[in-house]
Amino acid sequence: MRTVDTDVVVIGGGATGAGIVRDAAMRGFRTVLVDRADLGQGTTGRYHGLLHSGGRYVVSDPQSATECAEENVVITRIQAGAVEKTGGLFVVGPDDDLEFSERWMQGARATGVPFEEISVAAALRREPRLNPGIKRAFAVDDASIDGWQMVWGAAKSAMDHGAQVLTYHRVMKIIREDDQVTGVLCRDEKTGEDVRIDCRFVLNAGGAWAGEIAAMADCHDVQVVPGRGIMIAMNHRLVNTVVNRCIYPADGDILVPVHTVSIIGTTDVKADDPDKLTIPHDEVQQMLDAGEVLVPGFRMARALHAWAGARPLVKDSRVGAADTRHMSRGMSILHHDERDGLKGLLTISGGKLTTYRLMAKNIVDAMCTQLGEDRPCTTDQEAVPGSKDGKNYHITHRLAEREKDRLDDQIICECELMNRRMLVDLIDQQPTASLDDLRRQLRLGMGPCQGGFCSMRSTGIALDHEKIDVDRASELLRLFLKNRWIGLWPILYGDQVRQTALDNWIFQGTLDIEHLPDSVNEVTV
Amino acid sequence: MSTTPLASRSDVVVVGAGLAGLTAALQLRATGRRVTVIHKGIGGLQLSQGSVDILGYAPERVERPLEAIPGYVADKPEHPYAVIPPGAVRRGVQWLADTLGTDLLVGDADTNVNLPTAVGAVRPTALAMPSMMNGVCTADAKFVIVGPRQFKDFYPKLIAENLARTELPGGGRLEARAATIDLNGRPGEADSSALGYAGTLDSAEGRRRLVGLLRRVVEPGEIVGLPAFLGYQDFNAWRAVQDQLGQPVFEIPLPPPGVPGMRLNRALITRAKAKGIAMVAGSFVTGAETDGRRVTAVVIEAAGGKRAYAADHVVFAPGGFESGALTMDSYGTITERVFGLPLAGLDHTDLVDGWPVHGDYWGDPQPLFRTGVRVDGSMRVLDDAGEPVYENLYAAGGLLAGATRWREKSGEGIALGSAVAAVDTILSRNEGSTR
Repeated sequence: MRTVDTDVVVIGGGATGAGIVRDAAMRGFRTVLVDRADLGQGTTGRYHGLLHSGGRYVVSDPQSATECAEENVVITRIQAGAVEKTGGLFVVGPDDDLEFSERWMQGARATGVPFEEISVAAALRREPRLNPGIKRAFAVDDASIDGWQMVWGAAKSAMDHGAQVLTYHRVMKIIREDDQVTGVLCRDEKTGEDVRIDCRFVLNAGGAWAGEIAAMADCHDVQVVPGRGIMIAMNHRLVNTVVNRCIYPADGDILVPVHTVSIIGTTDVKADDPDKLTIPHDEVQQMLDAGEVLVPGFRMARALHAWAGARPLVKDSRVGAADTRHMSRGMSILHHDERDGLKGLLTISGGKLTTYRLMAKNIVDAMCTQLGEDRPCTTDQEAVPGSKDGKNYHITHRLAEREKDRLDDQIICECELMNRRMLVDLIDQQPTASLDDLRRQLRLGMGPCQGGFCSMRSTGIALDHEKIDVDRASELLRLFLKNRWIGLWPILYGDQVRQTALDNWIFQGTLDIEHLPDSVNEVTV
Repeated sequence: MSTTPLASRSDVVVVGAGLAGLTAALQLRATGRRVTVIHKGIGGLQLSQGSVDILGYAPERVERPLEAIPGYVADKPEHPYAVIPPGAVRRGVQWLADTLGTDLLVGDADTNVNLPTAVGAVRPTALAMPSMMNGVCTADAKFVIVGPRQFKDFYPKLIAENLARTELPGGGRLEARAATIDLNGRPGEADSSALGYAGTLDSAEGRRRLVGLLRRVVEPGEIVGLPAFLGYQDFNAWRAVQDQLGQPVFEIPLPPPGVPGMRLNRALITRAKAKGIAMVAGSFVTGAETDGRRVTAVVIEAAGGKRAYAADHVVFAPGGFESGALTMDSYGTITERVFGLPLAGLDHTDLVDGWPVHGDYWGDPQPLFRTGVRVDGSMRVLDDAGEPVYENLYAAGGLLAGATRWREKSGEGIALGSAVAAVDTILSRNEGSTR
């Protein structure tokens, strides 16, 4: 058994956990983050990529609206490279109630969410594919954000401040001595080794899995109900501005341009198990119908991939009123000292990706209060590594980079303009990474061909790098294709059928991948 | 009454320039028929591995493909091989081998060979290019797999190490190791495709450079596996490399653009043009004119409007979903695009949540890709009642329902067999008079 000694263990490598490890490390705590999988592999990586202006919540959830408006400015500044300043529109659809837009404007003024009404003609000039029947349009400061870049930015910042980030470390038990948490027992999923992390505080940022994690410290009945939402990435940027329907938040009311695609979302259906999220066909149809309202002809566009994420919605009868000091509506912090008589454990849940930094601040504040220490939060003061204020992401940046190095290197993923150097550098940093781990940071396999050409190349390059053997390399290829298919088959229609036929021709027909030697060690992570 | 301007009148219009379409066109032309081939894309051969599959898996590995067909389709009445008349596949394969000659195609239809793929799997096929045949996987063979480190579609280590750990179909193992060389496809170009390399290796100078680099990494007694890029124009470039190196060499097919398939395609297209077949390239067939009983013309969308190509017979070989001949819309409706033909191959028990695909990538074949048109032994397209939709419309190749051609490794056999059967029908009906 390996042992690690630290002050704070953060459980969960989503946006919230990454924010917390950064916050705690910047306050001078020795901090370790653990996740059973990769960073951003759960809900954080399965959303629509919207950095809210707050406009979505001005009527339904005013406090969240204000928080989103404030955090939008902070994140755009400190994580500039992950944010594309697309701007946003709220549009009243042909059949939508105009009265709501009056309430919406009142709400926006009351919550401090900046907006400007623009004429329908101006909205259509800005987004020519928009439904010409829209009745009203408001411009807001919505942006799009790459959740994985955001999480990795926060994690790298934390590491610069001395934190350790242990991905693929599954928590097996939270160790307690009487009424005090003293450590966390993990299993290294890649090596099978047990790891004991001694600490004096555990911050549970398990999201939809937070209840399971709390139970490992014998804190029971933390009920986190996963709210499943599906999203569909459409080929190309059908819009270059985030487009919201100006209605009370509902299903399929947002279309977000992210990188080379645009993403329609989302639904909200109670799920039983966050590890078993389905993408039902009726919800896909619902999203396509909703897309038609925003962009006529939406169904004729090519759908590339679908996914489902699990919103962590806390339902806990034992939450005390005392908690409200450190939480806003939408996010909640469970004080297990008051709730369960256990010191050294806090659970955070709910919240929004846009406000992840604020959530982190709130829970670390709560920890400092419990520890009796006065250490102020400074996470809004410093940009994450590699990010420069004002240098926001721009859709064409990879094209510009490839123009520069096209005579020196090979483009391994043509859809997303990823070259060999980018891949090799990341494999150097993460030698045990799966192709999906690499994908989340490099976008390989996320374009129209969904891995048809780049997955074999990436496998070959990973093997050439001599950090893995041929058995694992072949298994990684199998696993990648299997995982891509999870998001392909529910939206398989139109040109993506044709693409899939070509990919099948390549993998089954030409490469006969089904008849590679059986694996010696099956790879699941 | 049609008002579509008439572009031409032929005995036979063939839609599609893949293996099925070109085979039908060339065979009909050889009997003196006036033949027009209308095609939108580049033809499936160039996407293929460039060998001739008849039946590779049934679902176990097949050694004698023609012999295995009757048993394999005994319980698959909708499979094209259950309908294509006996002998047609053999005749089609023989015709292709005779037409292309031994510079391009060797082997025989009765026996499969097992060849390495670009991930190092051992793949059965019937006939292949002579440039591939030194790669037949036999126990105790000693391979060295060599590729340029700059070439992104070929990973020698992946291929060699998978081959070396494979228990071969006949038992035993082969030896394989990997080596890389430093070779740009074209001067100053770091990211050349296989076709870029092939262009360079069409020249003696390009081959001399390659051989010089190979000499540094190849050991005596080794058989040298290279990416399938040894020349495009020059079908014997591979042999020149082998002769200069003084050791056996073989090519391993790659994902598209596949140079071996492009060679086959070029040979057939060149022949079609030389024989006086009218090739109407880049043309999107949008519909047809019929008299209710027969198709009288095929209509394309051209600059300035529609054009009709009239014919006594139409061989319809546009491919399947991969070419866009078959489509499925966002409501799950599957359509054959030109004639709106009735489709078969999909059973309602195949639907998952109303959709003709399932979520298990490595599981059973996806039902969707078995969808296609149903034909009788004359290759006439049938409706749901089993009656011909049109008396003179014949389907061939990837459009046919019931096959899982990429899994079975049956694509070329079906294309050739169905083309031959369609040609037989047309010739037997004497209506396309010889002129």
